[in-house]
Amino acid sequence: MQSYRVTIFVVVILLSTGLLGGRLFTLQIIGRGDAQEVSQGNALRTLRVMPARGAIYDRHGVLMVDNEPSYVITLTPRYFAEEKTSLLARHLGVSDSLVTEKLAEARAWTSYRPSKSFPDISFDQYSRIQEDIFLLPGVDKELGQKRRYPSTAKASHALGYVGEITRAELNAQEAENIYLQGDLVGRTGVERSYESYLRGEPGSALRVVNVYGLEVKSYLEGMGDQAPVSGYDIHLAMDAGVQALAESLFVNKRGAAVAIDVNTGGILALVSAPDFDPTLFIGGIDKERWQAINDDPEKPLYNRASMNQMPPGSTWKPLMALMALDTGLITPSGPGSTVYCGGYHPLGGGRIFKCLGQHGEQNVTDALQNSCNTFFFEVGRRMNISSFKRYASMFGFGLEAPTDIREQTSGLIPDSAYFNSTFARWGPGTVMNLGVGQGDMGVTPLQLARYIAAVANGGWLHEPRLVDYLANPATGDTVRFAPRPTRIPIDTSYFSLVRQGLRLVMETGTGRASQIPGIPSGGKTGTAQAPKGMMDHSVFVIFAPYDNPRIAVAVQCENTGSGSLCAAPISSLITERYLKGHLPDSPQLRLRMERALSAVSEPMPAE
Amino acid sequence: MRTWYHSFDFWSLFYWLGLVILGLTAIYSTTQGEAHQYLEGSVKNNFERQLVWLGIATLAMCTILFIPVRQYIDLALPGYCVCILLLIAALMFGREVGGARSWVYIGPYGFQSSELAKVGAILAVARLFSTRQQGSTLHIILLAVGLVLLPAVLIILQNDMGTALVFIGLVPIVLFWAGTPLWVMILLVTPAIAGYLAILYMPAALGFTAVLAIALALWYRDVRIGAAGAFVSGGTVAAAYFALAKVLQPHQVARIHAFANPESEEFRSGVGFHLMQSKAAIGSGGLSGLGFMQGTQTQGAYIPEQSTDFVFSVIGEELGFLGAVLVLALFTLLLIRLMQLATQMNHPFGIMVAACTAGMLLIQVYINVGMVLGLLPVIGIPLPLMSYGGSALLANTIILAIVLNLYMRRKEFALYV
Repeated sequence: MQSYRVTIFVVVILLSTGLLGGRLFTLQIIGRGDAQEVSQGNALRTLRVMPARGAIYDRHGVLMVDNEPSYVITLTPRYFAEEKTSLLARHLGVSDSLVTEKLAEARAWTSYRPSKSFPDISFDQYSRIQEDIFLLPGVDKELGQKRRYPSTAKASHALGYVGEITRAELNAQEAENIYLQGDLVGRTGVERSYESYLRGEPGSALRVVNVYGLEVKSYLEGMGDQAPVSGYDIHLAMDAGVQALAESLFVNKRGAAVAIDVNTGGILALVSAPDFDPTLFIGGIDKERWQAINDDPEKPLYNRASMNQMPPGSTWKPLMALMALDTGLITPSGPGSTVYCGGYHPLGGGRIFKCLGQHGEQNVTDALQNSCNTFFFEVGRRMNISSFKRYASMFGFGLEAPTDIREQTSGLIPDSAYFNSTFARWGPGTVMNLGVGQGDMGVTPLQLARYIAAVANGGWLHEPRLVDYLANPATGDTVRFAPRPTRIPIDTSYFSLVRQGLRLVMETGTGRASQIPGIPSGGKTGTAQAPKGMMDHSVFVIFAPYDNPRIAVAVQCENTGSGSLCAAPISSLITERYLKGHLPDSPQLRLRMERALSAVSEPMPAE
Repeated sequence: MRTWYHSFDFWSLFYWLGLVILGLTAIYSTTQGEAHQYLEGSVKNNFERQLVWLGIATLAMCTILFIPVRQYIDLALPGYCVCILLLIAALMFGREVGGARSWVYIGPYGFQSSELAKVGAILAVARLFSTRQQGSTLHIILLAVGLVLLPAVLIILQNDMGTALVFIGLVPIVLFWAGTPLWVMILLVTPAIAGYLAILYMPAALGFTAVLAIALALWYRDVRIGAAGAFVSGGTVAAAYFALAKVLQPHQVARIHAFANPESEEFRSGVGFHLMQSKAAIGSGGLSGLGFMQGTQTQGAYIPEQSTDFVFSVIGEELGFLGAVLVLALFTLLLIRLMQLATQMNHPFGIMVAACTAGMLLIQVYINVGMVLGLLPVIGIPLPLMSYGGSALLANTIILAIVLNLYMRRKEFALYV
């Protein structure tokens, strides 16, 4: 063999592989950027990694809301094969048309990115789809999270619920796109008020997407990924045990209860009955259920605790007493300290302004103890309507409270302008009615509780707050809210005088039957006249212990009769449960329980 | 006889092992990653199956090393006939796999008859030349060409153009080692180069024609050889032009143009898809690659046939320029080593087997890597020793083992001269 042929052949080998090597160099070293663009455009997708939404705890650290995994099926319309519609529908156990509908919805949003079309499917459906995922291009699975409510206390109005963000809300977002389609947002209650704390910050992860559009693995072992920042946990001022008891006392009733920490304004319990099941909203509520819950004449979604306004009835009398003492309409002692009750107020000849009995000479404490109407009609007759408005405002009436409850109304405290615009003619009689908490006025249970707490603590008006503090488990960061209470400019001696009256109510007056064994307290019954000839609303306010008050409670029961019947035992039980930590059995307890549970709201007339 | 390992060539075995391991690495990455569950069922177990084939190939290699040289010379022509019969059998009774009817089944075990035919053709050609006493006569050369082209025709009938092309490429190799004058060799390979250039860029093809004609004329100091060069090259260019413009259907022209221009929109979803994805994979690998099992193109299964014909793109993406160059270097070293073995054997049979094996490997490596890098049109042939495919691994290992055996027993040749 000629050796130059071997040389030639070796040269050919070197030239060939050299040419290939040169080509490699051009592609990999010089042209790397372009190629990366193509391959990353193909094969990489940036995912949002959702943080865990903050959990919610009660004041003792009892877990009330946290998260559990939910199984989500996503559709990417671009990759979805229409002929697979019925296969997917069969696996999900839904109709073909629903899949088609969801696909159209997803397409309207984006064709290229996965949309969470079937949130919260069962694990069974999830695993069936996982098995056939190869046959279903454009269908992918995702692990999401949903709210879990492990506590016996529902507190549905205080906690609120989360729901999927709407198209309108998405479009209304400002430049920063915090939310994407399919995200959950707080709709009501704490979930809504503290949304920005609870949601946390989504992280990002790069995923390799295969030629069928399925995410197959992480990119570069997740080196470029950003971990999500979890949201703040919420620590409520609420006591879950007290809350659960309060809810249980409201069976068959419409009404609300608010219990407040007298010294901080923290809300210990907040009930609005009837309530709703927050789990209904997980994974999007369907139209029929939403319609049903919205059309319910008992309005379960409506937060009566902060939105239901009704006349305070006799629970208004302590405020009137304070106003009368502070403005000098009545003196604490000596001449001018009493009003004579002959069973009625002389104005109107005894037919209009009646009292419940003939009380004789009544000073402030007597009048509170006996709930003497004559006394407070007289205060109403003597008072100036503008100072009435001013004193009511001092206690937060007629105003929205500074609070973290977003759903609230300001209530109604009339002034002369209001009467001028409402009535053609009005006179002293109209104003006198206000003295006993009847007529054209409206207060909410939240306002009542806050007011009675201020009476109990001698004139400090607190912001009622559901949330005590926020803590971020990831960063260790905490956020505390320490709003300063407002001082009500009324002499503290007047407050003690009024409190003495309220104590007598509980010991010998209308609240006698609802005394808490072993704990002296102050309270006041009230009866608010209901319109349309229905049964009266029962109202009660209480604070305890008398000497060093810690809790104030206001309860309204709709259409159950007078204050001592329904609202009083409920208030008293809530208070006792909070102060003692449990309810020790006694004949006294059984009696109150029996009265609280047997009271029933007269049904709402059909519309 | 001296202890066998004194004459055994460990270098070749080392290169062979290196390439096989790199191939298995790439196959593992394409099929055993986190994306495993998303793969089609037919490719899921490629790695395990290739391991089994590697075991079979290793056994075959060991067996081959024990067979004396005489047997190869005696069995070359009968073996060739068996290969031809298998090709015909596959054509008549075989099952169609991937569009080609080249598979022969013994029970459930199938193999590709065309791969085995490579071994048969090389041995037969070598046998032909081992009987010649001095100088080559024209009819022996023509017979040798016929021996190579017969399987090529059968394989074309099996509808496997890629493998047939390897046999056609073997023709100039055989002619070269048979001592054909160099200018004839140049004229033989000219149409391939001129045609390739004509498709890519017509002015380059015309320039090549001119340079070739002048160079030939000056080198051989013979105007007639220069004119022959001009005629062959120019003729090819003209034919290519005429074919592209007049004869071929538009979709055929599109196929031809696609490899030169795969990014253009009209080829993206079709012919260009392979190439665009393959180039994107290799390009994004950069110097040191994205890392084993980290290539997005590979793990996302963007490149069709990535464990078979496009296995080189996996190396390029995940192991980068360094890994790809290592593969090319191993092939280069193996080929050069085979040439060194050839020069040390003093018998035309041994020389011819070693030289033709080197030539055949070169053709396959060049066509395959050229295709993956977008230098050549997409022609479906595997990368020797690396691509998934048992028959190819077995056939390539067998022919290498035969070379190693002939080299190890080169002293025995003296008996049969």
